[in-house]
Amino acid sequence: MGKHHDVAVVGVGLSKHVSKRRDVNMPELVWEAVSACYEDAGLKPKDVDAFATGNMPAFEGVNLPEEWGAGHWGAYGKPVLRITTGGTTGGSVAHGGYYLVASGLYDTVMAIAFEKQSDGNQTFGLNTVALADAAAQFKMGVDPGFIAAFGGGAVGVAVYQASSYMKSSGCTTHHLDMVSALCRNNAALNPYSHLKQPGLTPEQVAETTLLQYPIRFGHVCPSTDGACAMLFTTPEKAKKLTDKPAYVLSVSSCSDEAALVGIAGSGTTNVDPCEQESCKIAAARAYELAGIKDPRNEFDLAEPYAPFAHQMLMFYERLLLCDEGEAPSILDSGSMNLDGELPVCPSGGVISTNAIGASAMERIAECAVQIMGKGGERQVNKEVHKAVAHGWGGAVNLNVVAVLADTPRG
Amino acid sequence: MAAKAGKEPVPRVSMPLDPPFAWSVGNWIEHFFDGMKEGKIRASKCPSCGRVYLPPRMICERCFSRADDWVELPVTGTVRACTKASVKVAENGDMVDLESPEIIAMVQHDGADTCIAGRLEADDASIGMKVEAVLNPKAENALDLLAGYRPAG
Amino acid sequence: MDKEVAIVGYAQTPYVADFNESREMMVLQATRAVLENAGIKREELDTIVTANNDYLDGRTISNMRLVEPAGSWRKNESKVEMDGAFAMLYAVTRILSGDHDIALVLGESQASVYAGILPGIMMLDPTFDRQRWLLNEVSAAALQASAYMDASGVSEDQISGVAAKNLDNASRNPVAMRSIAGADAKKVKASRPLYSPITELMMAPQCDGACALVLASGKAAARFEKPVWIKGLGFAHDSYLTERPLDTMSSLKMAADSCYSQAGIEDASSQVDLAEVYERFAHEELMAYEALGFCEPMKGGAFFDSGATKMDGKLPVNASGGALGANVECAAGLARVIEAAMQIRGEAGDHQVQGVKTAVAHGQSGICAQENMVYVLGGE
Repeated sequence: MGKHHDVAVVGVGLSKHVSKRRDVNMPELVWEAVSACYEDAGLKPKDVDAFATGNMPAFEGVNLPEEWGAGHWGAYGKPVLRITTGGTTGGSVAHGGYYLVASGLYDTVMAIAFEKQSDGNQTFGLNTVALADAAAQFKMGVDPGFIAAFGGGAVGVAVYQASSYMKSSGCTTHHLDMVSALCRNNAALNPYSHLKQPGLTPEQVAETTLLQYPIRFGHVCPSTDGACAMLFTTPEKAKKLTDKPAYVLSVSSCSDEAALVGIAGSGTTNVDPCEQESCKIAAARAYELAGIKDPRNEFDLAEPYAPFAHQMLMFYERLLLCDEGEAPSILDSGSMNLDGELPVCPSGGVISTNAIGASAMERIAECAVQIMGKGGERQVNKEVHKAVAHGWGGAVNLNVVAVLADTPRG
Repeated sequence: MAAKAGKEPVPRVSMPLDPPFAWSVGNWIEHFFDGMKEGKIRASKCPSCGRVYLPPRMICERCFSRADDWVELPVTGTVRACTKASVKVAENGDMVDLESPEIIAMVQHDGADTCIAGRLEADDASIGMKVEAVLNPKAENALDLLAGYRPAG
Repeated sequence: MDKEVAIVGYAQTPYVADFNESREMMVLQATRAVLENAGIKREELDTIVTANNDYLDGRTISNMRLVEPAGSWRKNESKVEMDGAFAMLYAVTRILSGDHDIALVLGESQASVYAGILPGIMMLDPTFDRQRWLLNEVSAAALQASAYMDASGVSEDQISGVAAKNLDNASRNPVAMRSIAGADAKKVKASRPLYSPITELMMAPQCDGACALVLASGKAAARFEKPVWIKGLGFAHDSYLTERPLDTMSSLKMAADSCYSQAGIEDASSQVDLAEVYERFAHEELMAYEALGFCEPMKGGAFFDSGATKMDGKLPVNASGGALGANVECAAGLARVIEAAMQIRGEAGDHQVQGVKTAVAHGQSGICAQENMVYVLGGE
C-alpha cells in the first residue's frame, strides 16, 4: 500500500441556500461558496494544487458544467476532477478531495459541489434515474406520465422505504413529525439553511398535507439552489493556517444493487429499500480505517443524509450508532437534540436544505465546522472530537461515509 | 470476447423527452443583453489585471477578482479563427449537409481579450480579417440581439 | 513517483458502431476480461472507479446500473464523469492514500444509443453559446484547427497525413472500429467535408465499447507478472474555449510539464520511445507533439513530415490507430494508456513496436481538449 498522508480541513464555504436564485447563473452561484471557502481558510487560488467538483447534471441540463464555470472558481491551469454519483455526489467529491491529499500527490485541494435546481425541473431530473426502466415500460405501451407518477421521483422511493422501516423498527408517524421539528428548528439557527421554521412542533408537522402514506409535506426536503466548497490540506500546512483544523480520518463508499422499488422490470424489486446493507458496510470500513472501535460511544456528532424524515433514524441505525430498531427511542430520549449526548443533524439536515449535488458534502462540512467550533448559534453544547458524515443516493443503493476528528489519524 | 455480429438486434426504445430548462443568465450577461438593445457592446473588465471579457464574466479567471469594471467596446473586431461549415447539427444530433456553406468565426472585438463565436456573412474568411458586429436591437429573443458579423468598412 | 502504482491487467472490448448488447452486458465483458487478464478474482478488488457520463448514458447517475457488471457490488466504488484516463488518476490517488491496494478502472459509452454530437453541445455555456447553435465539438475543433494552421503554417495535407497514418495503423489493431490499410492523405482530404478543414476521416469516429485496467500498489504488484509502472502523471484544466488562444494546447503542455518532472523526463523527444495520444481530430495530434515536447512549438507539421511518428520512426505515435481508429467517449483516453502498457509489455501483436521501455499516454476531456491528462509509463 501507499503511505497514507493525513488530511486536514482548513476551510468551509457555503452559498446562501434558497429555492430560486435568478440573479446569478450557475458558476456565479458556486463562486459564492468558493470565495467564502477561500476566505474561511485564508487561502487564494494560487495556493490550491487541484480541484474536485460535481453536481447532478440532469437538474440543470448542462453537461460537464465546470468547462464553462471553473474559471469562476480559480481553477485555471489546475487539475479539475469531476466526480458525480447522484445523491451522494457531494460526499463523493469531498472524498475525492480527501484522496487527492491523502495520496501525497497534491498538498491543497478544493472540493466543490453544487446544484442550481431552479434552472431545471427536479422531477424530470429524478425521473431520468429510472429512465432505462421507464423506457422498457414505455415500449410495453405504458404512458410516460403514469410511469413518472407511479415510481419516479424520490417520494415514490421514499414511501416504500419509510413504511418498511416503520414496520421493522416500531417508528411511528409521530417520530417522523419529531424528526422534522428537530431538524427545522436546528435549521433556523443555521444562516446557510433553506427552510427555517423556528419553534416548529411535531403537532404542526402532523397537520401538513399527506403526500403518500406515511410521508407528509412536512417530512420532505425542499428543492434548493446552493453550493458548498471545502479546502483540504496537509496537517503541516493546516497548522500554519488555523489553531483548530478538523481532520478527515477516513472515507468509504459502498455500492449495492440498484433497487427502484415499485418499478417493474428494474430487476431487483425484491431488495428491501430500508435494509441499506451498503451503508453498514461503508460505515464499518470507514470506522476500521479511522480506528473507531466503538461507534456508539466514540462519536460526538452525526450528520446522516436524510431528505425524508424516517431516514434520519434509519441511517442512524445503519451507521452502526445503535442497534436496529433502537433509533426511535433514542430520539424520544432527547439524545439527538442540539444539546443532547449525540446531536444529529445540527445543520438542520437535508430535510431543511437540499441542493442535491451539494447535500452530501454539506454533511461533511457541518462535521468540520462543528469540530472547528465555528457553528455559531447552532454549535453543539459539547466538545466535538469525532463526527460521522453520510451520503445516500443512486437507486437507493449508494452510500458514502466519512469520519472526521479533531486529531489526525496519525 | 466479441460483439455478436449477426445476432438478433437488442431491443431499443427512444423516449420522447422534453426537459424544461430555464437558465438564469446572471446580472453580467443580462447587462450585456440590455446594452445590445441600445446598440452597445458592453464588456466586463477585471480591475486588477485589466483583462476584458466579452461576453462579460463576473469573475476574472486569471486573478479571481470580480470583473466589475464595465467598458463599452466598438462593434469592430478581428477574426481569430474561422471555418466554412458544410453541415449543421440537426436536433437529433446528426450532422446534415447545408444547402450552401456558411462561415463561423471566432471574433475578438477591439479591446477585448476573449472571443465571441458568430456567423460571418461573407463568401470567404481568413484569420486577421477585420469584421463588425451586426446588431439587431429590436430582436425579441435576447440571443438574436447579436445577429452576426460582416466584413468591416 | 516510481514503483508506487502499477498497471497489472488490461482489457478492451472490440470498438464497433453498434455493440448490439445492453450497456451492462458490454461492461460485464470488459470486467471479466480484465480480471482474467490480471489473474485475479472480483473479491480481490478494493476499489472501482468507472468513467461514464449521464448525458451519454441517457440517465442520471450513470454508474448506478453498472454496480454489478463493473464488479463493484458491495464494494467501494465511485465515478469520474470524464474520460477513463482521468478516472485512472482518481484510482491512483486511492491506492497512494494507503487505503486500497487493488483498483479497477473502467470507461465505457455507446454511441449507438446517444444522440450524435448533442451531448457535446450541452457542454457549452447555456446562457449564450449553446442556444446560438453554431458551436459544437466539430465546429469548435475546426476553429481550433484554423487558428493552429494560421499560427504554425501546417497544411491540410499534413493534417490529412496524420489521419492516413492512424487509419493505416488501425488496420493492424484488431479492436479498432475504423481502419484503412494503406490510407493516403488524398483520400482523407476528399472525404465528406464537415467544417473546414475537417473532413469526415479527420474526425475520430464515435462508437460503442468499453475498456478497463487493474492497478496495484507497489507492494501488491509484486505478485503480478510484467507490471507496467506509472512513472509520472500530470493533469490541467484550460479556459473555456472562447477565452483562450486556440492555436496551442496550453493545458496539455502544463500537464506534460508536471508529469515529466515527476518522471524525470528532461527531453521527451529522446527519452520517450512511443506515445499514444487522444486525438479527437487529426490536427490535435500535431498540436500534441508540440505540447508533449516531442518537437518545438509550431513545428508539429515538420516533425510529422520527418516520419518520426510512423510505426518505424524514432517516436511512433498512435501505433494503435489512436482515437481516429475508434473513439469511445469516456474510454478512448484510457484505451491510450492500455495501448501504451501493451507496447511496454510487448503484447501489442501486429502493431507492436520493438524496444518500447518508456511510453507516454494522453487523455483529454471537453471541447477543444479543455482538460488534459498525461502519463509516463515504464516497465521493469
